[in-house]
Amino acid sequence: MAVWELAVRTGLADYQSLPAPTAVLASFEPLIASGELPAHLAHTLTVTLAGWVAAAVIGVSFGVLLGLSATAYRYSLTSFEVVRAVPPVALVPAAVLIFGFSMSMELVLVVYAGAWPLLLNTLGGVWAVPAERFDVAAMLRLPRLAAIRKIVLPAALPEIVVGLRLALSMCLVLAVVAEMVGNPEGLGRALVRARQALQPEQMLAYVVTAGVLGVVLNAGFRTAARAVLPTTETGEGAGAG
Amino acid sequence: MSAATAESVSRPVRGSGLRGLLPLVALLGLWELLGSPDAPLLPAPSAWGLAVWELVERGRLAPELLATLRTFATGVGLATVLGAALGLSLGKSPATDRALGPALEFARALPPAAMVPVATLLLGFGETAKVVVVVIAALWPVLLNTRTAVRGLDRTLIDTAHTLQLGRLDRLGKVVGPALWPSIVLGVRVAAPIALVITLLVEILVELDGLGALITESQRTFRSARAYGLIGVAGVISLVVHYLVGALERLVLGYRRSA
Repeated sequence: MAVWELAVRTGLADYQSLPAPTAVLASFEPLIASGELPAHLAHTLTVTLAGWVAAAVIGVSFGVLLGLSATAYRYSLTSFEVVRAVPPVALVPAAVLIFGFSMSMELVLVVYAGAWPLLLNTLGGVWAVPAERFDVAAMLRLPRLAAIRKIVLPAALPEIVVGLRLALSMCLVLAVVAEMVGNPEGLGRALVRARQALQPEQMLAYVVTAGVLGVVLNAGFRTAARAVLPTTETGEGAGAG
Repeated sequence: MSAATAESVSRPVRGSGLRGLLPLVALLGLWELLGSPDAPLLPAPSAWGLAVWELVERGRLAPELLATLRTFATGVGLATVLGAALGLSLGKSPATDRALGPALEFARALPPAAMVPVATLLLGFGETAKVVVVVIAALWPVLLNTRTAVRGLDRTLIDTAHTLQLGRLDRLGKVVGPALWPSIVLGVRVAAPIALVITLLVEILVELDGLGALITESQRTFRSARAYGLIGVAGVISLVVHYLVGALERLVLGYRRSA
């Protein structure tokens, strides 16, 4: 950082393309004062979190279904694998075609990308449930849904938590990409606009904001997971390595 | 290490074979039967194939595919070399690790998409900017895996090298290198799919050349059949890359086991 500042000050680097860190910092103030940055930040955050929640519902449901039913699994997994091979990023233009430049386009992409890690981790978690637990459920004559809620989900929770974390960063990435390509709001859009307006210090301010948002979301999730589920910490640690 | 472990968690253990393709085939079949080839938004799958074939015949697909593969290969190659070198120096020296750690952590948290405008601004619209973004995104799995492997190196290995009075280069080539190789390859296996995704992402955003740019162009001109067909092509490339890195890993690890 110091080297960067010095290089710009001494004219080693061209200001036109690379503003000094202090200039980037200074550009935060008007952006915040005008309410631009908070508005874009709020938009990206809302879409990311809303998409993440929807992805969790979809991903966990499919994961449980495929994990419990060998038939469903046998007759669909290859399809899932083939569809998953298509990078979500490549679907951005398709989503723009179908949904236009809109928030629903962004949401669909975010949900889609976030659902994959959740589906796969839930599937892995359900497989890892010890067989005796299913015997217990059978012995207690638990109805199917109750068995899932009381036995399968709690046992698969550590894996699901890892999936939730992977999904959260996927959702943020896809939200920013979708905004850059087509949505009229959000950090991604603001970033592209600042670049086109030749205001590199504002652009970098948005880049830094996006980076900080990523770090904060990740840290926030970890804290929340630890507070709510102290016992799953080891599982989460295993996933985080 | 984190990326590698995460990947292994999200990789299904068993395959389901050809019968697992049924839902996809059924869906596409229904689509074909119910859809019309001229539907503006959701043209039938046969139209996708025809649209892509037309591109092939006009000789437009091959150069774009080559551009994508070139960016991808350069990116993976540079990410591997840089990641291994950085991982080696960070793993060897705790002081360097402490000094660079926070900066690296922040760089890792930056969304690659956000780096695209920065890179094009600094380096102009060109191959360099594209490769730089790909390398920055694909660097981490290799770097982190190498760093962890260096920290876990068997002390006796290093001591043996010292006892044999091997020079710096020999030590790297004959002792440290072979011991780290599997970790580096594991890092590449995680990095290669990331590099492919980021290559497509950069192409979609920069719209200069490559498969991603062609998809975006199809979208802008409302040729939806062509866009879907090309997205399918991207999927095929991604499957091939998965297969190739898997084969590379087996090759390297198999070689190690027999050695």
